[in-house]
Amino acid sequence: MAAAAMSCAASLRLLPFKPNLFASSVQYPAKALILRPLKPSELPSFRRTIITFQKISTGNVRPPSASPPSSSEDFQPIEELPPELQEIVKLFQSVQEPRAKYRQLIFYGEHLKPLDPQFKTRENKVEGCVSQVWVRAFFDDQRNVVYEADSDSSITKGLAALLVQGLSGRPVPEILRVTPDFALLLGLQQSLSPSRNNGFLNMLKLMQKKALHLEVKGEEDSSSEESLESSFVPTPETNGGVSVVDKDTESKPSFVEDLGAEDSDGGSDVVALGSRGMRIREKLEKELNPVELEVEDVSYQHAGHAAVRGSAGDDGETHFNLRIVSDAFQGKSLVKRHRMIYDLLQEELKNGLHALSIVAKTPAEV
Amino acid sequence: MEGVAMKLPSFKSLAPNAISIGHRSFSRVRRSSSLSVFSAASSSATVATNSESVSLGHRVRKDFRILHQEVNGSKLVYLDSAATSQKPSVVLEALQNYYEFYNSNVHRGIHYLSAKATDEFELARKKVARFINASDSKEIVFTRNATEAINLVAYSWGLLNLKPGDEVILTVAEHHSCIVPWQLVSEKTGAVLKYVMLNEDEVPDVDKLREMLSPKTKLVAVHHVSNVLASCLPIEEIVVCAHNVGAKVLVDACQSVPHMVVDVQKLNADFLVASSHKMCGPTGIGFLYGRSDLLQSMPPFLGGGEMISDVFLDHSTYAEPPSRFEAGTPAIGEAIALGAAIDYLSEIGMPKIHEYEVELGKYLYEKLSSLPDVRIYGPRPSESVHRGALCSFNVEGLHPTDLATFLDQQHGVAIRSGHHCAQPLHRYLGVNASARASLYFYNTKEDVDSFVVALADTVSFFNSFK
Repeated sequence: MAAAAMSCAASLRLLPFKPNLFASSVQYPAKALILRPLKPSELPSFRRTIITFQKISTGNVRPPSASPPSSSEDFQPIEELPPELQEIVKLFQSVQEPRAKYRQLIFYGEHLKPLDPQFKTRENKVEGCVSQVWVRAFFDDQRNVVYEADSDSSITKGLAALLVQGLSGRPVPEILRVTPDFALLLGLQQSLSPSRNNGFLNMLKLMQKKALHLEVKGEEDSSSEESLESSFVPTPETNGGVSVVDKDTESKPSFVEDLGAEDSDGGSDVVALGSRGMRIREKLEKELNPVELEVEDVSYQHAGHAAVRGSAGDDGETHFNLRIVSDAFQGKSLVKRHRMIYDLLQEELKNGLHALSIVAKTPAEV
Repeated sequence: MEGVAMKLPSFKSLAPNAISIGHRSFSRVRRSSSLSVFSAASSSATVATNSESVSLGHRVRKDFRILHQEVNGSKLVYLDSAATSQKPSVVLEALQNYYEFYNSNVHRGIHYLSAKATDEFELARKKVARFINASDSKEIVFTRNATEAINLVAYSWGLLNLKPGDEVILTVAEHHSCIVPWQLVSEKTGAVLKYVMLNEDEVPDVDKLREMLSPKTKLVAVHHVSNVLASCLPIEEIVVCAHNVGAKVLVDACQSVPHMVVDVQKLNADFLVASSHKMCGPTGIGFLYGRSDLLQSMPPFLGGGEMISDVFLDHSTYAEPPSRFEAGTPAIGEAIALGAAIDYLSEIGMPKIHEYEVELGKYLYEKLSSLPDVRIYGPRPSESVHRGALCSFNVEGLHPTDLATFLDQQHGVAIRSGHHCAQPLHRYLGVNASARASLYFYNTKEDVDSFVVALADTVSFFNSFK
């Protein structure tokens, strides 16, 4: 493997490093960005841990031959990097002495905006780091990714800061295009070995994975908004053909059925109910015989929330507000009422429903 | 002559093959010219400052070519032998010789090469048995490493003998390899794991251990020398107490067998495990020592060729130990090379190695603790407390990863940072990770000095940011 050959490099050597060891052909519905197709000699271990992103419907596909020209050393050219990252690379290249480079790196780390402890969660932790590193990602109002990070080790913090500064505020495709090659250009002798101890590599991977996830969630939310406009027309199965193949999920097309618009109190439904919403409604109607029933999908409010991601069976419908008025609650305490509802929705809770916000009253209490 | 004798594999006595012997005699002649300087070496192993008597470390360095290189622009200073040891040329040559001259499957063939290979393989087994003073070479089971050996005991002896409510005593300082197999097996059998914590000397509390023992205890599985604390447990004493309540004892001797005399008769342990790669041998081979009667009573671990007696369609009968526990073709060359490593170590003499390491280890401890803000884990060395030649430590305000990275990239010093496969211990000590510098008999005083200078430089570099 090319990376293994150059791990523990004794000094900065420009080895003929295979380009683009990260991405396979990633196609983006709206932006039609095609990355270089994965060469056969690519490192399998990298591939396994990368989220590949495939288009279901045929769209306009740029032929693979239209790939950007590669540099003589076969690196990802510096021009492809986000502008901030280019600046950082140039800065490090201008600093010759290794010690000074470290000083620079640690300096970056010291000026990293601290990460709120509430974000130091398992989902935000970088795997395979002997030190502890957390990374958080969210969209700004222009759908650029904003990163925050922290670490208990100075060097890792510096690397994290570097990545945060270099990648924050950029759009997702640009971030996904970055390969770890640039680390060589920094001259920090950071090993690019895919070993589990490579914090730098894993940090970059996690940041890219989070960017991708943000994009996917964004697509799903916007697609559900689109279908609302054509609310009485069943929407096609694949909406934009976004399918995320993560190594631990099955691919699931994100689709929205809008069959239930004629039922009940559509007025309170800002977002049309998806299949889970429908199932919840059906179950509650059947079992509780309510006088009033409101089921509101508020998953979008939790889109950035770390726990909301592609787990098995997750179709994006994770958070609901429920308002139920029913005789079935007669004589039961609040806790008991909530218990009843949770028991009825066991299946959903097991399969990706994260939380319910419940108002449960009897007709007399309304 | 002390030091580095080139020991030929003894097979030349089996079937003199003129060409191959000639070949090796030649290489012996070539080598001995580089050894001539050593014949004048004194037999003392003192850590001399002005080298009128050459220390053991200096004497043997020529045998370890890997140590003579530069890393990141500095001379390599290898201080990670607790993770894996370097191998002397004889061991590498033994492995090469095996493949070049008599590679053949063992125990099966009739022909000349296979007879040679089998003899050498079984000779290696005898060498291991002799090295730890086992009463019979049949008490040595070759495994892939110590981890596999412990799993063997857990799955073979453990599954058979542990019943719900039975207790297995471990310490909080055990290596993961001596924790996880017991977790897996206790889940299956309903046995309960109990852990001995550390006392105020930062050593597992043997008094507490004694208190924990009861008729419910079936097994005590403990390290001999700790890979983090450098402490040494009184195994003999523990065995006596354990046997009193009818419990067996398994000793994880990975950090002791390579560094000192380990005598299983004296220890009287029931099981003992070690890995070749920590004792100048190749990776891929290790062994389990088990008392004959115990091994006799144990069912197979892995099934396959070699470990059987007769195989029918619906059942099989199994071989006697040790074969019963050696399924499939073993790591033949590696076992033979381990034998060569044992020869090499024996030539120097384990008491000598141990004596040298106690001195050097003390020196390391003293120099390290003289630096401010350094916290070394484990007991303080004293007349009665001999530490292993390693120090796990933390520097106030400096993450061990930063430390190790800087030491490596700016000074070529190789140490380890992390939890050293002892997460429970680190949790107990209240830290996420630690740095560890570990010595072996090929390290010198200069290595320790280089390390300490590099460490001081590293600390001041990172301090400059505060």
